Order: sequence, then C-alpha cells, then structure tokens
Amino acid sequence: MTPPGWLSWFGLGARQKADVDARRAAPLTLAMFLAPALLLYATFTVYPVLRTFWNSLHTIRPQNIQEFVGLANFTALLFTDPVFWKAVANTAIFTVVATIADVLGGLLLALCLFMGAPMAKLLRVVWFTPVLMSYVVVGVIWVWIYDFDWGLANLVLRSIGLGALQQSWLGDPHTALWSVMVTHIWKWLGFNMIIFLAALYALPSEVLGAAELDNCGWFAKLIYIIIPMLRPTIVNLLVLSFVGKMMVFDLVWIMTAGGPLWSTETVSTYVYKRAFDWNTFDLGYPSAIAVLWFGIILIFVFAMTHLLRSRDRLEF
Amino acid sequence: MEAPSHLWFGYVRRSPLILFVLVYTIISGGPFLWVVSMSLRTTPEIFASPYTLPTRLHWEKFAEAWTRSNYSTYFWNSTIVVVTAVVLLTVIGAMVAHCLARYRFRGSRLVRFVILTGLILPPQLLILSLFQILLEFDLYNTLTGLILVYVSGHLAVTVYILEGFFAQIPQDLFDAARMDGYSDFEIFRKITLPIGTPALFTTVTLNFIILWNEFLYAVVLLTEDDKRTLPLGIMHFMGSHQLDVGMLATGLMIAIAPIIFLYALFSETMIKGMTAGAVR
Repeated sequence: MTPPGWLSWFGLGARQKADVDARRAAPLTLAMFLAPALLLYATFTVYPVLRTFWNSLHTIRPQNIQEFVGLANFTALLFTDPVFWKAVANTAIFTVVATIADVLGGLLLALCLFMGAPMAKLLRVVWFTPVLMSYVVVGVIWVWIYDFDWGLANLVLRSIGLGALQQSWLGDPHTALWSVMVTHIWKWLGFNMIIFLAALYALPSEVLGAAELDNCGWFAKLIYIIIPMLRPTIVNLLVLSFVGKMMVFDLVWIMTAGGPLWSTETVSTYVYKRAFDWNTFDLGYPSAIAVLWFGIILIFVFAMTHLLRSRDRLEF
Repeated sequence: MEAPSHLWFGYVRRSPLILFVLVYTIISGGPFLWVVSMSLRTTPEIFASPYTLPTRLHWEKFAEAWTRSNYSTYFWNSTIVVVTAVVLLTVIGAMVAHCLARYRFRGSRLVRFVILTGLILPPQLLILSLFQILLEFDLYNTLTGLILVYVSGHLAVTVYILEGFFAQIPQDLFDAARMDGYSDFEIFRKITLPIGTPALFTTVTLNFIILWNEFLYAVVLLTEDDKRTLPLGIMHFMGSHQLDVGMLATGLMIAIAPIIFLYALFSETMIKGMTAGAVR
C-alpha cells in the first residue's frame, strides 16, 4: 500500500524522486523551520515599524485616542521646533567628529600593533575591553572621571599645573557635548582597531615587501599603499560608525540626559523625552522624528557607500 | 654580548611608539582597574583618597550589595532575560539560516530580504510602538516581553552571521545525508548544527554581550524595581539621593564580572563575536 501523497507535505511517507534532491524540502517542513522566527519577527519588528510610520501621521494620546493629522507633525518639527534643530546640530557634530576620530584612531592603534609594538597580542585584548562594557558602566565611570572635585580629569590638570583649565566638564554647556564624545570615542576605538588589524594582516605581503625593496619609507608606504588597499575596510567602518553615532542615546542619557541647557540633546534623546518624559502625552510627534531621522540616515548611508566606494578596483 | 645591545637599540629607536602604546593601555584599561579597586573600598575611604589601592579588602561589600541593595534581583533578571533570549535566538535563528542557506524555495529571497532589513532598523523606529504593543498584549513590564523584543531585534544579525557560515558547508554532505535517508530535521540537527558550531559560538557571544549590556529597550519596557535588569538597576542606584559611590562601584563590578570572567577565558572568541557583523 502506498502512503497518501499529502504525507509528503510533512516530509513523511515514501520519497519521490524529487525528494532526494537535498536542495528541496516539503513546504510544511520549511514552514516549521521558518514559522517561529517569522511570527516573532512580524509581531515585534515588522508590525512596530509599520505602526511607527502610521503613528507619525497621527496624534496618539493615552487610552488609544488617535487623530489623523497628516504631515502636521513633520511640518511642526521642521519649522517650529528649535529643540529639534538643536538636537540635530548636536547629533551632526557628534557624528562627524566622533566617526572620523574613531576610524582614524582605530587605524592608528592598529598600525602601532602591526608595526611591531611589544606584547601586541596582550595589548589588543586590553584595548578591546571598553567595547565589551555596557554604556551604563562606561557612563558611570566617566561621570566620575569628569567630576569637578575628585574626578581624574581635573586632578591630572591640577597636578601638572594647569589647574586654571579645570572644568565642570559635564556641567558646562560648552564642554559637555565634547566630554561625552570623548567617552564614546574611547569606548569604540578598540572595535575599529581590531577590524583594521585583521585587514592589515590580510594585506598581501608581496606588495608590502616590494615597497620595502623599493626603499619606500613607512609613511609613504602608509599613504600610497596601505590606506588605498584598506579602502573597503575604511568605508565599511565609516558607515558603521556613522550609523551608530547618528542614533547615539545610551551614553548621553546616562551621562547628561541631554543637559545642561540642551547642549548634549541628541535626536534620540529628544525622541525619548517627547515620548516618555515630557507630559505631552503624544506618541505621534516623536514617531515623526524617528521616521524622519531614519530617512536621513538611509540617504547618508547610500550616499556614503556610493561616493566612497572605490571605482577602480585594485588588482593584486 | 651582541644580541641584547641590538635589542636595546631597537627599543630606543621605537621608544615613541612604545610610550604611546603604554599611555593608551593605561587610558583604556586603567578605568576598570580603578573600579575594581573602588569596589573593594568603602565610600569614606574613596572620598579620602579616590586613587589609591585598597588598604583592606572589603569583600563584605559584595555580600551587602547582593542582599541589601537589590543587586541580586537585578542580576537574576538580567540572567533570565539574556540566557532565554540567547537560547531562543540561537535555535530559531539557526533554523532560518539553515533554510535560507540550504533550500531553494519560492519566497526565499523575500524572507531573506525582510529579515536582513532588520540589520539597518534603528531602535528608535521600533521602541515607541513596541511600548504601545506590549501594553496591548499585557507584556509591558514583564521579562517575557523584553525577551521577545530582544529575540526579534537580534534575529537579523544572528541569521546574517549563521547563514554566511552555513552556506559554506559543502553541499555534498547534504546530498549524501539525503541519500542515506536522513529527514530534514535530522540533517539540521546532525549536520548543520555540529559543523556550524563555530558560527553558533560567534552569535552566542555577540548576542550575550549586547543583550547583557542593553539599555534602551529595557529602560522603556521595564519600570518596576523588581523587574529591572542590571544596567537599569545601576542607573536607578546612581539616581538615588544619597549617592553611595563605594556601593555603586561594587554594583558595577557585579555587572561587569561575568563579562570580564568570560573575556579572560575566551578573549579571542569574544573579539571575533563582537566584530563578526562588521566584516562584510
């Protein structure tokens, strides 16, 4: 007796010829493999994203009172919200400076190890430690380092006779953003260093060797050989770092919560404040900020990958 | 002797490099040693001189943090959330990755596209409506809700890493297994998973570290004190009126101890895990 054909839907029963093809599986088998992930993903990622887009066109009050407002949230945001623009300016400064510093610094550190600093194996492990720490831990430690009375920053300044430069680093609107930025850069330098180091070791040694035979100084070697060959890695890290910094929230929230006087307000902290901190009781407006910002990030990422991608592929 | 003097000369020539390396090592590692030292000192001792080593090791502070400052609750909440989420992510992520890497089926490109889109979604785009959705599902302020959000949010990177690895497993193995009459689940369990173990380790470390440290989702989705995870607990402690610096340092140590412990044992795996998504 041959089993009924529908059993093959479950991957059971007699195998037909097609079943032997390991590239195929019964539809129900596939469904069982994919269903748990897809269900979760649809409920807790796809649906929320679509709902945020929908929310951005509405005023969303507690008890689910919703009112369609069209693009009013976006126009209010763009034309009548000075705090938003302050947040955009801060985030822009933060993104540009911290991205460049992280990528350049990471390259510098990787080169130090690549050029034969002693104990390179141990050092890369130590230098990577901040990457593994949570923003909360890093934030608390650096709040202490920046403390006016007993923080290390002022202590070092006083001890080398530059006591006049001591600051309330996080309390002064002129220095707060930069102080948070230094902490952020410090946390991520090790990450960029590791990626660069891997890329450096993957460089073809014949090319570097040939340069040495040609009596090429190490600086010329860096500028004319190493950096061009690292280009894909550099672009990659610039984009990754850019995206991370455009969304910076945790560290700012922990260290300054956007203060003093909006001097460290970023787009993300502003979204959070408008949604949960200020008693505006409207989720529509912050959703509009999130949607707009996502669009801007996407545009920049596309622009960066297209403009910075090497047109003539290096052959080696 | 010839060789040592040569070596010595080399060190002098490279002294700027070595000096720089030394300074950066102190900058990157020093703060953690400072926290270790503070975690074993009392607050009055710390305020008397913040940057000296402990004269007496106050191990009892850990017991005190554990019992009197709620850190045990935070620690167990973090453990429950992270372990459950990582296990779920690994299992269902591997199932999806196996399907995408192994089978040709209608809609596979769509499934891959939809899931990998998750790589570029900023959390801010999700968090506001997740707040609403979890309220509606009665999952707000529950660890279950946070776990589900974490699993969904990290599915993309998990599938991305695993699929890349699974796709490199030679197809011959699967053809042979099929000939021998293995079912699809047996193929998954007896071939893909054992061979894919290195990739599974990578995603487990990556997800473990990121979720152990996660702050934004937790701060929005959990507000009750007995639900807080470690990062939230520390933030809460920091915000209290009479800030007990010594006790906070002990709390920081409790939060970073598991990571430091694992890092000391498996530093290469953890470095590889943390950077896995970045190398394309």
